Amino acid sequence: MALVDYLPFVVMLVLAAGFVAVSLVASRFARPSNPTPEKLAPYECGITSEVEPTQRFPVKFYLVAMLFVIFDVEIVFLFAWASIFNELAWYGIAAAGIFTLFVLETLVYVWKRGALDWNVKTRSRYAREHFRIEEAA
Amino acid sequence: MTVDAWIAEPVNWVFSIVAVVILFTAVRVVTSPNVVHAALYLVAALAGSAVMFLLLSAEFVALVLVLVYIGAVLVLFLFGIMITRAPTGFDEGLSNDRKLVSAAISLVLLGVLSWASLSAFGTDTVNTVGSPTATEILGDAILGRFVIPFEVVSFILLSALIGGITVARRDLTPLEEEERKAV
Amino acid sequence: MTFEIDYLALAPELVVAGTIIAALLLDLFLTRSKKYWVAVLSVVGVAGGLVPIVYMLAEGGTRSMFDGSYVVDEFALILKIVFLVSGYLVLLMSVSYIEADRYYQGEYYFLLLSSILGSLVMSSSRDLIVLFIGLELTTGPLFLLAGWRKGDAKSNEASLKFFILGVLSTAILLYGMSLLFGLTGSVEFTAIAAAIPDLVSEPALALSVLFLIVGFAFKASAVPFHFWAPDTYEGAPTPVAAYLSVNSKAAGFVAMLIVMYTALPGISEVWAPALWVLAALSMTVGNLSALRQGNIVRLLAYSSIAQAGFMLVPFAAAAVAGSDLAQAFSATVVYLVIYALMNLGAFAVVIAGARRTGSGDIDDWAGLGQKDPVLGLLTALFFLSLAGIPPLAGWYAKFVMFASVIEAGGISTLVLAAIAAVNSVIAFYYYARVIKAVWLDTPSEELLARPGREYAGSIKLTLAISMGLTIAIGIYPTFATYFGEASRVIATGGG
Repeated sequence: MALVDYLPFVVMLVLAAGFVAVSLVASRFARPSNPTPEKLAPYECGITSEVEPTQRFPVKFYLVAMLFVIFDVEIVFLFAWASIFNELAWYGIAAAGIFTLFVLETLVYVWKRGALDWNVKTRSRYAREHFRIEEAA
Repeated sequence: MTVDAWIAEPVNWVFSIVAVVILFTAVRVVTSPNVVHAALYLVAALAGSAVMFLLLSAEFVALVLVLVYIGAVLVLFLFGIMITRAPTGFDEGLSNDRKLVSAAISLVLLGVLSWASLSAFGTDTVNTVGSPTATEILGDAILGRFVIPFEVVSFILLSALIGGITVARRDLTPLEEEERKAV
Repeated sequence: MTFEIDYLALAPELVVAGTIIAALLLDLFLTRSKKYWVAVLSVVGVAGGLVPIVYMLAEGGTRSMFDGSYVVDEFALILKIVFLVSGYLVLLMSVSYIEADRYYQGEYYFLLLSSILGSLVMSSSRDLIVLFIGLELTTGPLFLLAGWRKGDAKSNEASLKFFILGVLSTAILLYGMSLLFGLTGSVEFTAIAAAIPDLVSEPALALSVLFLIVGFAFKASAVPFHFWAPDTYEGAPTPVAAYLSVNSKAAGFVAMLIVMYTALPGISEVWAPALWVLAALSMTVGNLSALRQGNIVRLLAYSSIAQAGFMLVPFAAAAVAGSDLAQAFSATVVYLVIYALMNLGAFAVVIAGARRTGSGDIDDWAGLGQKDPVLGLLTALFFLSLAGIPPLAGWYAKFVMFASVIEAGGISTLVLAAIAAVNSVIAFYYYARVIKAVWLDTPSEELLARPGREYAGSIKLTLAISMGLTIAIGIYPTFATYFGEASRVIATGGG
C-alpha cells in the first residue's frame, strides 16, 4: 500500500473535522445569544451539590471496562490468525481455539461470581443459595 | 539527502506535521492540570503514534494502537477517573515540586537515547511506505514459532482479569457477612 | 509454517496449565466449606509437574523446539525443579494462612499457580520474546497477590509500590530488548551472540545492555533497585512475601544470567562491572539495613536482598576477571537452590511464629523457645543456615561462592570476595539477634498466657521438607553439587 492509498482516511478525517467546524460555526450564527446566569449553570433546576460525590460510578462499570480491554486484546491476536486462516487450517484452529478457551474462562468466572448481575435482587438470591461471603461486586 | 529531495517526498511532510502534534500533545499530557484533559491529550498522542507506525509500514501495530490503546485502555482510564475520588476539574495537586528535576532527567534520557539511536540506526533505511509488513507474516510468526508465548499470553490476560476483579470488588462489611450467614 | 511440538518436553507446563484451569473451575463450583479442595488440587498439580521432569532428567539429552527458542535441557529442567519445589512449599504454607483470612482462596491459588507457570516457561526460554512473556506471567499475578489483604492499608501500599515500580522496570526492560533486537536483527540468544562482535563499539548496544540489567535487577530486587522490596514484603501476605523472596527473585535473577551468559558474552566489559557494583551494593546495603530492622519480615526482606548480592558474586567475579563463566554459573545455581530451601523454611517459621506470638516484631518473639521449643529450634536452624554455619546447607552455598571467586583470581575479584566476607560477618550478627531473642530473652507474660494452639498439618509439612533438605544438603553437599554440575553442562552447550 502506498501513501496515496491512505487518501480515503485523510479525506474521512478532513470530513469529520470539517463537519464539527461547520456545525459549530453555523450554530453560532443561527442561534440567539442571550445568556443568563441560570442558563449557564450545570443544572437549571434542583439543588446544586456543594461537594463532589465520593464515588461517581459504581465499580461494576469498571469491571465491564476491564472485560472489554481483555477481550479487545484477544481480538487483536485473532486478527493475526484470521489473516492466515486458510494456510494453517486445523492447526490454527486448535492453537487459537485453546487461546480463546482460556480467555473465555474469564467470562465463566465473571458470570458465576455474579459480577455481571446488574439486578441486586438476583445477586442476593444467588448469595443465599451459595452461602458465599465474598460475592457482591 | 538534499533539501529539495526532502521536500519532494510527501512522507516527510506527513512525518513533520504528525511529529509536532505528538510532541505538543505528549507534553500536555503531563502538564495539563486536568486529569480528563490529560487523558484526552493522550488519545491524540497515541493517534499520532499510530500514524507514525503507518509511515513505517507497520500497519498491524498501528491498528493495535488504535484498537487497544485508544479504543480500550483509554476507556479504562476515563472509567478509573470517574470511579475514584479524583476531581475531574482543575487540580493543583497533579504536579509536584519535583517537576523540574523530573524534566531534567527526562531531557537527559532523551538526549542519551537520541544520540545512541542516531549513531546506531541513523543511516538505516526502513521499508518505505508501499511495502507494509504483511499481517500474514505476523500471524505466521505468532501461531508458528511463537505459539508458546501466544498461549501463555492468554494466562496473563486471565490472571490480570481475575486478580483485577478480586481486588476491585467490594468486600462485605462484618455486619453484612453476619446477615448473609443468618439467611 | 508449522513446527513440531514435543509434548513430553512441554509436559510440566501442560500439567501446571491444566491444574490452573481446573482449579479455577473447581473453585467456582465448590461451596465455601469445601474450598480446601482447590488447595489440594493445586498442591497435587504442582507435584505432578515434577514427574515428567524427573523422567526427562533420567533420559537425558536436549529437546529443542521452535528454532531453538524453547529449549528443555538439563539446565532448564533443574530450574524447573527449583521453581516447582519452592512453589510447592509456598502453596503448602499458604493453606492455613489463606484459610484463616477467609480471603478468596480459589483466586489466590489460581494466581500463584499462574506465576509458577510463568517461571517454568521462563526457564526454557532461549529468546527474548519467550523470556519476556514468561517473566511477565511470573510477576504479573504477584502485583495483585501483594495487595490480597484489601482491608489493610499496608497491603495496599505493598501492591501499589510493587506495581508502579514493576511496570516502570518492565518498560525499561522492554526498551532494552527492542534496542537489542533493532541492533542485532534477532530475538534469539544464539543469533544475538553471533551478531554482537560487529556491534561492540555501538553506544546503543551498551545502553540496551544497561537497560536490560536495570529491568532484571528490579525483579531480583538488587540494590539500588530494591526500594519496593521491604515495604512490599511487609504488607503482602507472608506466603506471598516468601514467594517474592524466592521464586520471583530467582526468576529475575536467572533471566538476567541466561541473557548475559548466552546472548551477551561478547560484551561482558559492559555488564561485568555493572554486575560487580550490583553485587557489592546489594550485599552491603542489604546487610546494613537489615541490622536496624525490628520487624522479622522486613529483616528477611533485607536479608534476601543481601543474599541476592551473594548469589551474584561468583558470576560478577568471573565476568570481571574474564575466567570460566560456566564454573561461576554452576556456583550461582547451587547458591540459588540452597537459598530457596532455607529462605522458604525461614518464612514458614515466621508464619508459625507470628501465629504463636501474634506479632511480627522480633522483640515480641522473646522467649519463644521456652514457649514452643520445636519452633525455637527450627528458628535457630534456618537462621543459622542463612548465616552460613556448618553443618547446615547455608555453609556450602557460601563455600561454593568463595571457592569460585578464588578460582577466578584478580584484584577486583578479591576486593569483591573481601566485601562478601565482611558482609557474611555482619549478616551473622542480625541472624543471631533473632536466635538470641527466641532463646535467651525472657518471655513476656502475655506470650506465656497465649493459648498454645496446634499448627496446621500443611505448615508442619513445609517445615519438615525444608528442614530435611537443609540438613541433608549441609551434611551431604554432593546432592547440591549435582544441580550445579548439571547446570554447567547446559550452560556451556547453550553458549
